[in-house]
Amino acid sequence: MDIFLQQLVNGLSLGGIYALIALGYTMVYGIIELINFAHGDIYTLGTFVSLAVLLGLGVSGEVHGFTLVWVVLLTIVTAMLLCGIVGVLIERLAYRRLRNAPRLAPLITAIGVSFILENAMQLWRGPTPIAFPAVIPNPSLQFGGVEIAAKQILVVVLAFVMMAGLQLFIYRTKMGKAMRATAQDRDAAQLMGININTTIALTFLIGSALAGAAGFISGVYYQSTWFFNGFEAGLKAFTAAVLGGIGNVAGAMLGGFVIGLVEAFATQFIPQGAQWTNVVVFSVLVLVLVFRPSGLLGEALPEKV
Amino acid sequence: MTDKKEVFGMRFGQTAGGCAAAVLVAAMLAACTSSSTSSQSSSTSAPAGSNGTVIKIGVELPLSGGDAANGIPTNNGVLLAVEEANKAGVPGGFTFADDSLDDAVQGAHDPAQGAQNTKNFISDSAVLAMVGPFNSNVAKAEIPLTNDAELAEISPSNTNPGLTLGDDAKKLRTSHPDIDSYFRVCTTDDKQGAAGAQFARKLGFKKVFIVDDNETYGKGLADVFDAAFRKAGGSVLGHEHLTKNQQDFKALLTKAHSLGPDFIYYGGTTVTGGGLLRKQMADAGMGSIPYVGGDGISDDTFLKQAGSMANNSYYTVAAPEASKLASAKGFIAAYKAKFKSDVGPYSANAYTAAKIEIAAILKALQADGNKLPTRAEVRKNVAATKNFVSPIGNVGFDANGDTTAPILSIYKISGGKAQFVDQINLKT
Repeated sequence: MDIFLQQLVNGLSLGGIYALIALGYTMVYGIIELINFAHGDIYTLGTFVSLAVLLGLGVSGEVHGFTLVWVVLLTIVTAMLLCGIVGVLIERLAYRRLRNAPRLAPLITAIGVSFILENAMQLWRGPTPIAFPAVIPNPSLQFGGVEIAAKQILVVVLAFVMMAGLQLFIYRTKMGKAMRATAQDRDAAQLMGININTTIALTFLIGSALAGAAGFISGVYYQSTWFFNGFEAGLKAFTAAVLGGIGNVAGAMLGGFVIGLVEAFATQFIPQGAQWTNVVVFSVLVLVLVFRPSGLLGEALPEKV
Repeated sequence: MTDKKEVFGMRFGQTAGGCAAAVLVAAMLAACTSSSTSSQSSSTSAPAGSNGTVIKIGVELPLSGGDAANGIPTNNGVLLAVEEANKAGVPGGFTFADDSLDDAVQGAHDPAQGAQNTKNFISDSAVLAMVGPFNSNVAKAEIPLTNDAELAEISPSNTNPGLTLGDDAKKLRTSHPDIDSYFRVCTTDDKQGAAGAQFARKLGFKKVFIVDDNETYGKGLADVFDAAFRKAGGSVLGHEHLTKNQQDFKALLTKAHSLGPDFIYYGGTTVTGGGLLRKQMADAGMGSIPYVGGDGISDDTFLKQAGSMANNSYYTVAAPEASKLASAKGFIAAYKAKFKSDVGPYSANAYTAAKIEIAAILKALQADGNKLPTRAEVRKNVAATKNFVSPIGNVGFDANGDTTAPILSIYKISGGKAQFVDQINLKT
């Protein structure tokens, strides 16, 4: 039983990481129906930027008290800001001109942007894994035979907070309304006086900023990164978004947790399970899509007729 | 999988160099001081006299770019051997000379360039034997050529088993399937698993949980370890393979922890998961459990990535630690006197390789009444080498061209540094 609960904890915290990335992924898709393959790399960029800020501040290990608060805030805000700006630039330079092109063109462009980001990061920090300082103290809590690290709780809580924030933004603010209008019918939205370019740029700003925050969290969580991280993470996050219903913010989070849990339990309960995790994850994806083609919670584009 | 193999050849080099930063720095210094001589050595090292009296040893190594830190000190080993041979005197008025060619293209070793260099040696009738190459994938490109020309070639550093063993090796011997022209004085990757198992038993470990990265090198290493550890009386609680690009190993480590192993064995490289796996053992409540691996984790990246968790880890390297061998003392002193720098990790190997070839040539000279011997004669003499006294022990070659003295070193990481702890000789 302890093992089961321990793997539950492992799965939830891993799922939290996937969920954090999947949120931005699914949001961009929800608004402009573009699978932004560069999203995973922006997430890695978030880790790289955070690392640069921390090294610049001279932080190489745990910090406590007030210092912890401002170091974390400064790092996360810088990472979100820079990633947001890069996201907007990518949209402006690579995707905007292709907005009315056939669907395949922006998709291929997104893959190209992903390669550019990966290689730029490889040039920046080299091809080998880089250590990330363990900024946040990480006491571990014992519940019977189950051990929960503070950062595992942090990841799960943050995933919920970010999801709730994003939901509020999309459904409770004027700008969120403009986004939903743009998603529903771009031309009609424009006729209603909504600035499409600004709205889409804002979408990329927020989505990429979320990726930047996720990048910081994953850096702290794994204490390691490398330029290629975003590929696998992006793939899993995309899967999570599809599993939950692409475009659906709550679905992305649910999908992330499902994938994390499936991975943990597959590793534990299948003999030599570690090598089969991806097989199991994608089998679950296929099964879900067979019976619910629009994902667990359904695509969040029901207004589209 | 050529580039995979290349990584191992290189990694191996970086490895031993990484053990002591001083060695690396020295190697760099050597790179600076001797690069001018080595690049010209093809023309300058031939002494005065008619061209026919010179016998050349071709040296095929990466001498520029990132690999030069390994290539130059290795080349120096050959230079020293050639100098000593000339000093001792050669019958028949012959002199030995080295002919060093660089296989690095745009800063990295290149199989096509290695093959081109080998062709140059083959077309030069004064070249009777060859030392090199440094990297396993370069060797793959060269073996068919030296096999065709029956030119003896001894590598100081190639560790890929497929170069000498099994069907892979047979495929490389295209012209003369029954003749082996390729030899090596270092041992192979597959011996590391056996040495690791032997050492783990020596430490008193009984139960192991094995993880590998499911790649050619890592899985091969882990499979050999698995079998050898069982044979040595240990029990294997589980043997799992990682998924490529996996980053989170907590679930796997929770599973391993629940089985209560004495240590974790990892087959693979730092980048394919070795560093993170070690690091996350702390999160899975296995912070005090030792970690054993092969030379794939013997790099600075492992130390950095695993951080304080790198301590209490052990790894094997498929080469003797020259500084710990009594037989290498004379060589190290002579090397330091000549090159004003510390020996590189493969200097002693290259020196030994050149010495074996020079001895083979001298033997052929004697048999021919001091006439220039053929390459085939030299190759035959090299193949017949037995108990050759050298800085790295008594070396000989088996039927495959592998060394009969497979000596491996074991290092332990403590205090954030790798230290030599033991040497294992797998001679059977």
